[in-house]
Formats: sequence, C-alpha cells, structure tokens
Amino acid sequence: MKISINGEIKEFNKDILTIKEVLDEMGYKKGIAVALNETFVLKTKYKETKIKDGDRLDILSPIQGG
Amino acid sequence: MIENWKLEDKEFNSRLMIGSALYPSPEIMAKSIKASGSQIVTVALRRQSATNLEGGNQFWEIIKELGVTVLPNTAGCHTAKEAITTAMMARELFDVNWIKLEVIGNQYNLQPDPFALVEATKVLIDEGFRVLPYMTDDLVLAQKLADLGCTTLMPWGSPIGSGRGLMNPYNLKVIRKQFPNLNLIVDAGIGKPSDAIEAMELGYDGVLLNSAVALAQEPIKMAEAFKYAIYAGRLSYEAGAMQKRDMASPSTPTVGTPFWHQFS
Repeated sequence: MKISINGEIKEFNKDILTIKEVLDEMGYKKGIAVALNETFVLKTKYKETKIKDGDRLDILSPIQGG
Repeated sequence: MIENWKLEDKEFNSRLMIGSALYPSPEIMAKSIKASGSQIVTVALRRQSATNLEGGNQFWEIIKELGVTVLPNTAGCHTAKEAITTAMMARELFDVNWIKLEVIGNQYNLQPDPFALVEATKVLIDEGFRVLPYMTDDLVLAQKLADLGCTTLMPWGSPIGSGRGLMNPYNLKVIRKQFPNLNLIVDAGIGKPSDAIEAMELGYDGVLLNSAVALAQEPIKMAEAFKYAIYAGRLSYEAGAMQKRDMASPSTPTVGTPFWHQFS
C-alpha cells in the first residue's frame, strides 16, 4: 500500500500497518508528534491506530519559531 | 524595580517574550536569548524526516538547556483545522497547555485571519487550552476573543518581520483601555527598542519579538538593548509621564536669578 508521509509517497509491502509500525520502519524514535489525515493522534494510540492505503501521515518535531 | 507579573498560570519577571528563529547560528540564538533576559521563548513544529532527527533534535536540546518556558506557536497554519491540529501536537510534544494561536489569512502581509482565529480559539478553549491569539489590532475581535475566555491577547504592532513598529498606536491604546484586566502583548512588527518602549508606555503588559533581535547586526547586543528598553518602558508606565504642555516652563528655579536678567 501507498501512504503519504510528510508529503512524500512511500510504499509498504503490508496491507495494514499501525502508526507505530510505520514510525519504527521509518526510524523515528522520540521527540515527534503525529497527525493522521490532518487529525492529531495521541502518542498512546500509535499501537492501535491502523493506517490504510492512501492515508496521510504528518510527523512533526520542534523547530525555531517566532 | 518592577514586580513579577502573571501571564496565564505562570509568573515571570521579564516582560519580553522572544522568538527562536532567524538567528545567524544556534550559538548566537542561545546567547541572544540569555542576553535578552526573556523567560518565555516561542518555538514551532515542522515536518521532519527520521534522518534529520538522528542523534536527537539539536535545536530542541539547546532550548531545553536554557531553562526557559516555551510557548509553541501554530505559525504557517492557514485554516482553523490546521491550527487546531498543530496546537494539539504541540501540547503533547512540549507538555504545555498554552499556545500562541496563529492563523494566517493573507500571504502578502501575513495578516491573521480573524474569523478562523475565533473558530480555532473556541475549539481549543473547549479542549482545555490557554489560547494566546496573535491578532490584528481590532477592538471587536478583541471582544470576541475575550468573550470566548482568552485572558491574554496579542495584537500585532505591524506585519511579522516588517520592523515597522507600532502602525496604529490609537487602536492599541483603545484595546488597552477597553480591557484593563487582560494581559495584552504587542506581538510582531517591533523593529527597534524604541518601538518596544512605546508599546510598554501604552500600558501593554509585554512584547513578543524575534526578527528585531535575530536580524540586528549584533543580535546579542540588541537582545540586551530590548531587555533594558522593555524594563524602562514598564517603569515609565508605572511612574506615569507628565502631561505635555504648549508653553515652556523653566525647570531651573527663577528665584535668585542673577542680576543681569533684571535689565533684559
């Protein structure tokens, strides 16, 4: 299946993945917050939140701001 | 000596809130923040790749070492939904429940969208946030945001990064008069320490700035200049300036004026 991660299309071999599996696969560890299809997902829900083909994942981290 | 002040549920001594962007280097950023005496630093969130975060987030480590309170923003959001999602992500990531709410309505002058701002504020307050809205200097908008439960308002001085100072002191003054009990911060547009003094002399509780320091020729020195300017501006407001007069009035006592004035 194909999902968009931070605006880039990534292909995965499985049909269903959880957010945690995607984050592990991509190498994300800590210091991030996640939105699925523009809706915030609590960290405690990563293991149970499933991702399907065509979903959009945004993975954000702190940067400089004014 | 100025007393501590309370912003939302926290107490601070410095009335300067400073941004963490646009500095020539992370080292200059850290030194500028220290020199400014500011205890509140604004930060943002952006998409980052796992590769970028390998070995940790260097910027975030520096900010944590400074021991300041962070105020996350929703910069770059153009809709209420984007801003709400970003605020929620920021709350989890930074472990704070306040947010500098920014919803941009126009790309040319980065003017906040008042309608989306009100919409997002309502949702976020219902979600338990303390919302510090970045807003235009509009009295009616201020009233709407106060009615929703905002206890801090942050009207712009002029567009973000423009350094144009206070475009419309009259509007800022009216907002101050109408909302004597709210915390009011001039956010954006400050160019020089004298602009910050003007804001503080209007009775504003604080100033939030970034470019004025980060883009100065010597940011660390400018940060210190703002520290003193905001301190002086606050003292001046508390002291109460004299009234302007049309006619001159001698400041040196006239009694005992030397003899030669008797013939003039």
